[in-house]
Amino acid sequence: MILEVKNLQKVYGDKTVVNIEDLQITAGETVGLVGNNGAGKTTFFRMLLDLIRPTNGQVLSKGENVMHNDNWKNYTASFLDEGFLIDYLTPEEYFIFIGSLHNLSVADVSAYLNQYGEFFNGEILNSGKYIRDFSKGNQNKVGIAAALMQKPEILILDEPFANLDPTTQIRLKKLLKEQTGNMTTFISSHDLNHVTDVCNRIILVEKGQVIKDFKTDENTLKELESYFSA
Amino acid sequence: MLSTFLSHQRKSFWRSRNKGGSIATQIIIGFFMLYFLVVAVGIGFGMTIFLPKIFPNQTVMTSFNGIILYYFAFDFLMRLQLQDIPTLSIIPYLHLKIPKRKIINFLNAKALFSAFNLWPFFLFFPFIFIEIWSIDGALVAVMYIVAILSIMVFNNYFILYLKRKSITNVLFTLVGLVIIGVFAALEYYKVISIMVASNFVFSEMADKPYLGLIFPVIASVIFILNSNYLRRNLYVEELGSKQEKKVSTDYAFLNRFGKAGELAALELKLILRHKRPRYSVFMGLFFLLYGYLFYKAPYIAADSFSKMIFAAIFMTGFSVLSYGQFMFAWQSSHFDGLLINKIDFKDYIKGKFLLFTIMCTITTILASFYGFLSPKLLLLHLAAYLYNIGFCTVLVLYLATFNYKRIDITRSASFNFQGMGATQWILMIPFILIPYLVYLPFGYLNRPYLGLMTIGFFGLIMLFMRAYWVNYIAKRLELQRYKIAEGFRE
Repeated sequence: MILEVKNLQKVYGDKTVVNIEDLQITAGETVGLVGNNGAGKTTFFRMLLDLIRPTNGQVLSKGENVMHNDNWKNYTASFLDEGFLIDYLTPEEYFIFIGSLHNLSVADVSAYLNQYGEFFNGEILNSGKYIRDFSKGNQNKVGIAAALMQKPEILILDEPFANLDPTTQIRLKKLLKEQTGNMTTFISSHDLNHVTDVCNRIILVEKGQVIKDFKTDENTLKELESYFSA
Repeated sequence: MLSTFLSHQRKSFWRSRNKGGSIATQIIIGFFMLYFLVVAVGIGFGMTIFLPKIFPNQTVMTSFNGIILYYFAFDFLMRLQLQDIPTLSIIPYLHLKIPKRKIINFLNAKALFSAFNLWPFFLFFPFIFIEIWSIDGALVAVMYIVAILSIMVFNNYFILYLKRKSITNVLFTLVGLVIIGVFAALEYYKVISIMVASNFVFSEMADKPYLGLIFPVIASVIFILNSNYLRRNLYVEELGSKQEKKVSTDYAFLNRFGKAGELAALELKLILRHKRPRYSVFMGLFFLLYGYLFYKAPYIAADSFSKMIFAAIFMTGFSVLSYGQFMFAWQSSHFDGLLINKIDFKDYIKGKFLLFTIMCTITTILASFYGFLSPKLLLLHLAAYLYNIGFCTVLVLYLATFNYKRIDITRSASFNFQGMGATQWILMIPFILIPYLVYLPFGYLNRPYLGLMTIGFFGLIMLFMRAYWVNYIAKRLELQRYKIAEGFRE
């Protein structure tokens, strides 16, 4: 069990935003979190990453509560929003900084970035811009590439397909599928096609609660579509 | 159409999300304005009395004519720093069925709403009405008014033109200040004289009033130049500052400090790449002139450090104080990113200490030119330096853990009170009081050097305890992290 969520609750005022009794994720799973706006997806991710304090319950990463020590940061990489990017750096500076946190040398980082030439479509590196000057889609790419560079055991991405152009969406799907097996991936998405394509397990949330939790098969997309159109 | 634009502007102010903050800011600025206006009116009416006292060897008219161009030279430099380009507010109108001419008129009209365009009325007009009107008659007085308003308009649009062409930066202003300083020095040593030039121009005009019509012509030229430039470049991305190619940099000297050094380098980039933090740090250089006010020969001779210690601590520590008072909030836009990454809180705090120590060391080295006044001052500065890097840094970082107010770092620097809160005021009290309290008993016992030593020693002890403070503050930050991150996300 690489990730365990026990009795996790977040209450703002009298509104319960997240309320998940029990959730277990085994190593190597690719989990998709699906739900409408306000379902509590981002709040849930933030609690997984110890960015907000749960009202109740706990998140265990490899059996350790994420609130108590930082060990989970050694093997967890994530990208939720632009708030994760240091936007006054050039992309190179940012990658080198993130790399240095994982003891990657400048050479390691540039070697790694070389294989992403296609993913970046030649727009990111040596562009002579700070990250803040990029379009949202390109900022997303920087964030996702920086997360993958850390070779994490757990990868958490919030709506990674949003703002990306079609070509990049397909490339990202390919990237995520290739990594499956050795990496536990947790993504949220509003795009049912993509999420059923990439993930082998879908968790459907509504008003902070898990409504459905199932393995994907050929009927999943239909099932989800009928749920959301109802 | 103009009135519609203005009403939208008014709505955007009153309905803005952080209305409370911006109203408070406006009130504070309002008070400043009122104060300066009162001062300006005082000077304006008092000119007949002041001018003969300041320049006893010439007539009042000569002095008055002499200061006009000086005033506008300073006005120019101040505008260069403080006057904003009205740009962003027009984006929603560009694609609508509104002629460009009207949008440009709006931009031009809006640019006139600047405090700089008020001072001349109060500074110069009383003198013109009281003195010139009665001596030289109505026509000359009117020409003076026309000339002064024209130069004002000229400055107003010339600055905007320069800013739009983005030839402006801090360096530019510094160079400008130096040039004016050189002129002042040349004036002082009677080599050349702006005053004579200014006097020449205006006394010629007093003789032949029709010459005054040159001023509105020049003002119109710059106005038209500015409008034409706007008309040709009415694209949002071209109205702001020009983009230049950004390059990656590496501060090799910080690498030897490990992770803490990397974090310090990160923050150094933050300071250098944003206007507001850059200002708050470089203000420290400006305050280096403080010594000239406080270090008076009799104080130095009598070793009365109690009168000078404030200046010493302020000069050597100002950058730390002015940058540190908003600590952590500078990084509010990516604080989440710092939290989820593999960054040890201790390294994070160490990086801040490192940065502060570097800032303090640089200002102390620069301040050592006061050693020419007296070598004693170097001892004073050493004590102040130790106090600052030992104690002040700890104080600033400790208080930073109470600061939850987000700062939008991309906004402009001048008159920006965003992120101000109680912490900033609390910070000042111990910062100023403690060195006094430590020094005073020694001052009374007439042991000034022992007093300095004690302050220095206090700083040194705190410096040796730094490892302890790093742990302590890192623990506090760890406790406060949710609260800080939440505040910064808003």
